[in-house]
Amino acid sequence: MARGSTTTHREPDAAESLIGRGARIRGRVHGDGALRVEGSVEGNIQLTGDLEIEDGASVTGDVEASSLVVSGQLTGDVTSRGPVTIRATAQYAGNVGGSEVILEEGAAFAGRIEAEFDLPAELSERTGGRAQSPRRESAGR
Amino acid sequence: MAGTIIGNGLTIEGEITSDEEVIVAGTVRGKLTVEGPLTIDAGALVEADIGAASLQVGGNVTGNVTAADRVDLLAGGRLVGDVKASRLTIADGASFKGNVDMDV
Repeated sequence: MARGSTTTHREPDAAESLIGRGARIRGRVHGDGALRVEGSVEGNIQLTGDLEIEDGASVTGDVEASSLVVSGQLTGDVTSRGPVTIRATAQYAGNVGGSEVILEEGAAFAGRIEAEFDLPAELSERTGGRAQSPRRESAGR
Repeated sequence: MAGTIIGNGLTIEGEITSDEEVIVAGTVRGKLTVEGPLTIDAGALVEADIGAASLQVGGNVTGNVTAADRVDLLAGGRLVGDVKASRLTIADGASFKGNVDMDV
């Protein structure tokens, strides 16, 4: 549905939400504002704000957020409009789609990373004439 | 620090269980089981059966409520459903519809 352009001007201080260490949710979580998970969630999470999955937390389900930091356990696919950070303590199985993906040393990760970005102009220009082309002439760019 | 806070922009559809305090300012549909104090803030919408150690309602609740200790329905709060608790207060300005079982 409406993405990107309309996300920021809903409620300026939609309070931050927290799912505490002793809490467990089974079902769908969605809405505005930021969310920090310290407990466990079984179900999909859809947020217009930022999502943080703390060390010791576990999330099983697909995740959509404006940015994501994973320090705990996550099983499911991620769609993020901003950066996805997978910290050293994270255990993550699933596919990541985001504009930027940071994978720290020590993190356990199984899945695909599909970061959408444009190559800097100087890179996309030069590849034709430089290192890559001598052997792969038909590659184009 | 507080256990769980469901902020005013957030909606949870499903089952929530917690051993710690829970504060709801957003929307919850389903079931809410808390082994600690549960606060439903003004502006919150809860359509769920609730079990809690104690419950404070300042928002809008539809569902049956069981509290081990007490239920406080605050001014501006609205509760539609049956209440089972040993202590219950209903403030001036609160709305309530349902049965009360005080375990006598």
